[in-house]
Parts: sequence; structure tokens; C-alpha cells
Amino acid sequence: MTAVGVQPSAVGRGDVVLRADGLSKRFGGLLAVQNVSFSQYDGEILAVIGPNGAGKTTLLNLLSGVYRPSSGRLHLLGRDVTQEPMEARCHAGLGRAFQIVRPFPEMTVHENVTVGALFGTRGTTLGQARERAYDLLERTGLAAHADKEAHELTLLQDKRLEVARALATQPRVLLLDEVMAGLRPGEAQEAVGLVRSVRDSGVSVLFIEHIMPVVRDLADRVVVMDQGQVLAEGTYHEVTANPQVVAAYLGTEEGLHA
Amino acid sequence: MSRAMDGGRAVVRRPDVPLRALLPLGLFFLLALVFPFLPLGERSEYLLQIAFFTLVAGVLALSWDILARSGQVSLAHAAFYGLGAYGFALLGKVMPWFLAMPAAALIAGLISLILGAVTMRLSGMYFAIATLAFTEVVRTIIQNLPEATAGGANGLLVPALLGGNARAQYFLAFGILLFTALVSLAIRRSRLHHAFAAIRQGEETARVLGVSVVKYKLLAFFISSFLAALGGVLYAGKTFFINPLETFSLANSIAPLTTSIFGGLYTTLGPILGATVLRVAEEILHNSIKNGYLVVYGLVLMLSILWLPRGLMGLLRRGKHGGDV
Amino acid sequence: MELFLQTLLNGLLQSGIYALVASGLALAVGVVGIVNFAHGEFLMIGAFLAWALSAYLGVDPLISLPFAALAVFGVGALTYRVSIRHVLLAPELNQMLLTFGLGILLQNLALIWLGGNTRTVTTPYQGSSLSIGELSVGGPKAIAFGLAVLILGALYGVLYRTTLGRQMRAVAQNRRGSQLIGIDVERVYLIAFGVSCGLAAIAGVLVAVLLFASPTVGLVFALKAFAIIVMAGLGNLTGVLWASVVLGVSEALVQTYVPGGGGWSDAVFFLLIFATLVFRSFRGAR
Ligand SMILES: Nc1ncnc2c1ncn2[C@@H]1O[C@H](COP(=O)(O)OP(=O)(O)OP(=O)(O)O)[C@@H](O)[C@H]1O
Ligand SMILES: [Mg+2]
Repeated sequence: MTAVGVQPSAVGRGDVVLRADGLSKRFGGLLAVQNVSFSQYDGEILAVIGPNGAGKTTLLNLLSGVYRPSSGRLHLLGRDVTQEPMEARCHAGLGRAFQIVRPFPEMTVHENVTVGALFGTRGTTLGQARERAYDLLERTGLAAHADKEAHELTLLQDKRLEVARALATQPRVLLLDEVMAGLRPGEAQEAVGLVRSVRDSGVSVLFIEHIMPVVRDLADRVVVMDQGQVLAEGTYHEVTANPQVVAAYLGTEEGLHA
Repeated sequence: MSRAMDGGRAVVRRPDVPLRALLPLGLFFLLALVFPFLPLGERSEYLLQIAFFTLVAGVLALSWDILARSGQVSLAHAAFYGLGAYGFALLGKVMPWFLAMPAAALIAGLISLILGAVTMRLSGMYFAIATLAFTEVVRTIIQNLPEATAGGANGLLVPALLGGNARAQYFLAFGILLFTALVSLAIRRSRLHHAFAAIRQGEETARVLGVSVVKYKLLAFFISSFLAALGGVLYAGKTFFINPLETFSLANSIAPLTTSIFGGLYTTLGPILGATVLRVAEEILHNSIKNGYLVVYGLVLMLSILWLPRGLMGLLRRGKHGGDV
Repeated sequence: MELFLQTLLNGLLQSGIYALVASGLALAVGVVGIVNFAHGEFLMIGAFLAWALSAYLGVDPLISLPFAALAVFGVGALTYRVSIRHVLLAPELNQMLLTFGLGILLQNLALIWLGGNTRTVTTPYQGSSLSIGELSVGGPKAIAFGLAVLILGALYGVLYRTTLGRQMRAVAQNRRGSQLIGIDVERVYLIAFGVSCGLAAIAGVLVAVLLFASPTVGLVFALKAFAIIVMAGLGNLTGVLWASVVLGVSEALVQTYVPGGGGWSDAVFFLLIFATLVFRSFRGAR
């Protein structure tokens, strides 16, 4: 597979790494995700946007296996993983950073990332995992905090830890849930750089984000969700020009061009 | 070497179990080793017996702690202790003790896999109550086995361990506690430690990061129950008479739990230290409190939760964190 | 047929006490958010109070009942103030272990103080019985059931008709929100925990009349209450009533129709708890 250096213009020509067919998830009477289908291509950065409560996080839960879908199928790197548990999907190449950060509170920052490195890829020894964890801490700017316990971090650092830990599993597809929320513009720019470098190292990235400038700068393609359904799909400029999308955002707190 | 100084990549190479932290543990075993040779006077026989049961309490507590490290706070420890005792009593009739002992432990370990598989998705109080119920079921089954083989409610004679030689029995118990401690340290240094800690601190997150939770939870159950059953063998071989009510008593689940919490959870030294203190205290108090000495365990448990969240180990290592042994 | 009806009736009568114990526990779980492993020990205290008042002062248990309830309400409130309150924000494990320690403490204090013997209470209506058509019911059983129904009625009346009750249910639904709309959550916790213990004590008085008082009498009832609230769904107060009847009746059916119950009856019950928990965990799985 041609992983490295896929340009935005190459979208559509790479291999499909992640394919959702008609995914739905019902919570009692609420259809949080409804018949969602999309494909993600190798080396692509795909953004999923939508108002609060649109079902974005629930979709990510379906992708990573936290929930089983009420219906629909999911293929990861050509393999049907619909019925596979979370750990199997991780081993198959899916990494995830949570919107609400979930560090292991009694471990140090370095140990947190070591867990990802150690169990995310089969056949990793403890020594290798430690090394890789430290490399990732350097890459995400957390090296100075390696020895702190995770509960001592600020929220911002916690978000970086989420990303470092997910990257440690050496994913082929990385799912990021609002990891830039709450960042100052300079910091967000740094994070954008990090995501780009991750993609350049051959990882396809699917990210959820409310900050529109980040979506504009980063996304090769955008999927817009509203009330559990896919409302529109295309480049940033295509979807923001779509009247339906504008209508969906009207009256919501964040607005489209926050 | 102070924490602040060894910045950078030193984090990567720092040993999981620093030698300095092993010192108190080594000291304990050294003391335990020479204990029978001390001039103990007339009461030496009695003191040796107390020391024997202290070692057994240590095995029980430390093995319980190993399971707790994976987030499984069990009230079924009495079941595996009891299965070890009964397994040894029954197998000891047909094979030499040194085979009956591991065989009994192996059976207990395998049965624990059944419990582990069924309670896999339970946590917190559901897990605790399910394990408590399991213990009662096992006890009732043992009690209702044909009396000719298992002795029923009345109990059962057990072949005395090592011909009843108190000193030899003591050293056997010493060896088994040492073995348990080595297993615990080996876990601390291996990937098991990371898997257990991750599962305990966030099971779903651990799974998303690729930890095979089913495998590691069952492994924790097997190791823990195997070791607890060895403790049960020691108990049965020492007292040479066992009955279901005492062997499977809730007290045998409460004691290791309280001991580990009091000593310091998720450490090797903590449960051993806790067992020593509580066991000696029990002997001292036994003359004034005959029935109901468990009152002490209840009180110690409450006070530990309220005021000693990291147990005795927390007192010893005040202000430091990480690298607990 | 007659045997069957008699069995159903026995089960139903038994479920009154179960419902008392279980609604108390559900109140602690639902409102205070504490799984009280010492619940059975508050029942035990109630049972001993009934016994002591009857044995030493000749007070009929039915008269001592409100006093026992009030006294144990106080003990419960005190327990809340000195211990439970400090772990409300602690991990669930700590809460569980704290009340577990409390249970062990109380049970063994009773053992040290009063010994392990069972104590029975004698009442004038002990031997009486009531007959409804072909069916007959022991007098104490009928009285206990009647009282249980009365008290549960009062409890649900308070919960659904009074300000305090509404506050309790509000807290059970949404802690944060309740605080915001000005409910004194701290006070609600205190009262709810006290009432929870008081209900256990009332059940204890009835248990002393029907069975006996002993240091360990509470454990089995507490475990049954756990089984009931798990069946009902944690914190679901109305579900508790139905689950109690289900447990009472199915127990009666097992006792009547399963031969050679004897040594196995305990195991059957524990197997039931075990199965309930495991079944729920798998059904609740995503
Ligand atoms: N476990 C659950 N049980 C019941 N309803 C849920 C559950 N998880 C999510 N929901 C509901 O599903 C809908 C979609 O929620 P989701 O978290 O996926 O939205 P989102 O798009 O990620 O929103 P945000 O931008 O605020 O993060 C919401 O109405 C939410 O309340
Ligand atoms: Mg979300």
C-alpha cells in the first residue's frame, strides 16, 4: 500500500482503510447514529463535524468498538470487524483518543503511554514499549512531565497524553475526538502540525472538531453530521457552502464560523 | 539518585523495582529464616506455631492482593483457600504430599477460571457479592459430597504435613511465602503489572489500547487462586482436621482483604507486613477477645479506609510515589 | 391446588419483610449513592432491641417497634456523620469496603457482647393462627405482613407526597441539579440514610418475633435484599416491591416442591443471587 505522502489531491485514489456501511446505534428511543456510511482513504485526514449532540462521539464509539452497532457493518483495512471487540480492533490498527480524557490516574505519564505501546502492537517487549513511549512524549512535548502522575497534569497536557497514548499503539487509522478544544490559537497551530506529521508518517486520521479554522487547515475531506445522520460530505469549501449545513448550524451556540 | 536529577531518558531505563525498595522485604525474609533458631525459651513451640500461621496469612493476603491489582476485589478467597485444603486432604490419601500440594493448587486455579469467566463483566459490589455467593455454593457442595470421601458437615482428617514436624512445616510455609513474594515481584516487573494496573484504572480504556482484558483477568484469577490454595494446603496439613464451616468461613475472605488494605494495596511488602502486624495483634488480643476477634478486622478496615488510604506502606513511604514494591 | 395456594400465600407473606429490608437498602443506594454492606447489621440491632425490651422489661415487640426504629434511625444518622459522609466522593471501592468493615465490626461486637446464641421472643399471639377458607396463616406472620404493608405504604406516601420525599427523589435523580435548585443535599443524605437503617430495624423487630435474634441474623436478609435490588434495577424503588414478591414466592415454591431441600436450600439461594448478577451483566452488555 502506498502509505506515505498522499496529497489531498490524491483523495479517492488511495485504498480504503475504513469503511462504514449503514451504521446505526439506538439508545432506547433515541437513534443517536442513523444509517451512517462513509469511507476513509489511506493517508487521508477526514474531519467529522456537526452541532452538539449530532452523534459524532457515538459514531466514534461504534468505530472503536465501545458500542456494538444496532445495525450496519464496519470494515477496517479490508477486514470485517463489526463483531470484533475493542482490543482486536486496536491490534488491527485502530487508535483512539477520547473526548473526555481518560488517563490512568495512578500511573505516571510515561507509564500511561507505555501501556499503549506495550499492548497496542503484538510482540512488543517492555523495553521497546518504554523507548517508544518516551519518543512519543518528546514528540508531543510531554517529556518534561514523564515522571508526573497523570492526575497532576493540566487538562491541556491530558489531551496531549490522550494523543500520545493512542499513537503509541501504532495505529494505521487514528481517531481523534475534539483534542483541540480549549487550546489557544498558537497551541492549536502546534497541534495541527502534529496531526500533519502523524499523517505524513503513514497514518490516516479521522478527527472530530468544532474549531472551524482547524478543520479548514487540516481536513482533506469533511463529513457533516446532524441528528445522527450524515448531512453532507465533501471538501471544506463544498460543505460550508451547502445551505443545509448552514441551516443545521444556525441557532446552535458555536455557529459555523466560530 | 534523586528523582529530580535523573531527567530525560533515564525514565526509560529506571528499574521497575529499585534495589533500595527490596531491602525491607529482604530483611523480613531474613528474620523469618532465622526465627526458629532464636532462643525462644519454653514457649518456642507456641511461638513457632504463631509464626507459621503468620506466614500462611501472608500467603493469603499477598495472593489476594495480586487479584485485586487487576481490579477484582474478591470475597471468594476463602473458596480457593478451602479448595486447596480439601484438595490436599483428598489427594494426600492417594499421592505423596509434594505432588498432592501442587495438584490441589492446580485444581483450585482451574476452578477459579470458571468463576473468573462468569464474573468477567461484573465490577464493584456486583463482583463482591457474586464472589461471596460463589463461596457459599462451593461450601454447600463440599458439605454435601458423600460423607465417606469428604466428611460432610463434620469434617475430615488430613494427613499431617511432613510427619507433623513443626520446624519442617515452618520452613515449608516460609518457602511458599517466599515463592508467593517472588511471583508478586516478577509480576511487578513484567507486562502483567501494566495490564493489571490499566484494567484496574480504566477497563474500557485499557481495551481500546489493546489490552486483552479477558486473558489478563483470568490470569490474575489463576495465579491468585493457585497461591491461595497453597496457603490452604499449609493450613490443612498443619491442623490435620478440617470442616467446611471453618475452612470456607467468610473470615478467610475478610482477613486477606483487610490485611492487604491495612498493609498497603498493590504492593508485595504491604500485605506481608499487614499480616505480621494483624496476626501478632490477634494472638495478643485472643485472651481478651475469644469469640468475635474479627471485630478487630472490621475496625482496622474502617480506620484504614478513613485515615490510612495507602496503608502501612503509605506511612513508610510518605510523600513518595511510584516504584512501590 | 390447596397446597399450591398455601405456598403462594406463605411466599407472599414472607415477601413483606424482604420488601422492608430491600427498600431500606434501595434508599441508601438510590439517594445517598452508598451500597451499605452493613445493612443487615442494622436489622440485627433492631432484632436485639426487640428481644432485650421484651426479655428485661416485658415490652411487647409491637410496642417497642417504633422505639427500635427511632433508636436505629439515630444510630444510622450518627454512622453517616462520622463515617459515610467522608467517603461520598471516594472511589466506589472505598465506600464498599468502609460499610463492609462496619458490618464486620457491628456483627462481632454483638457476638462479643451477647454471645452467638439465638434469642427468641415470646408473645401471647405466638401460637395463634388465622384461617381464610381452607388456608391458614400463623398469627405473627399475618401481623408482620400487615405491619410491613402499612410501613411501606407510609414510606411511599412520604416519598411521593411530601416535600422531603420529593427532595429525596430529586437527589436520587440528579445530585448536582438538586444542589443548584437549593435542596440541602447534606440533610437529605442524613435523613435518607437514617430512614434506611430504621427500616432495617423494623424488619429486625419482625424477624425477632418470627425467627430469633442473633449476631448473624442480618447477613442472610441483607444478601436477599441485594438480590432484590439488583433484580429491580439499582435505585428503582417501586421495582423493589415486585422483586420482593418474586423472591418470596419462588422461595416458598422451592421449599414446598423441591424434594430434599435440606442441605441444598442455601446453595439454591446463593446460586440464584449469582445467576441474577451474571445474567444482568450479560444482558446489560453492549
Ligand atoms: N450512552 C448513552 N446513552 C444514552 N444516550 C446517549 C448515550 N451516549 C450518547 N447519547 C445521546 O446520543 C446523542 C449523541 O451524542 P454524542 O455524544 O454522540 O454527540 P456529539 O456529536 O459527540 O456531541 P458533542 O459535540 O457535544 O461532543 C446525544 O443526544 C446524547 O445525549
Ligand atoms: Mg462528542
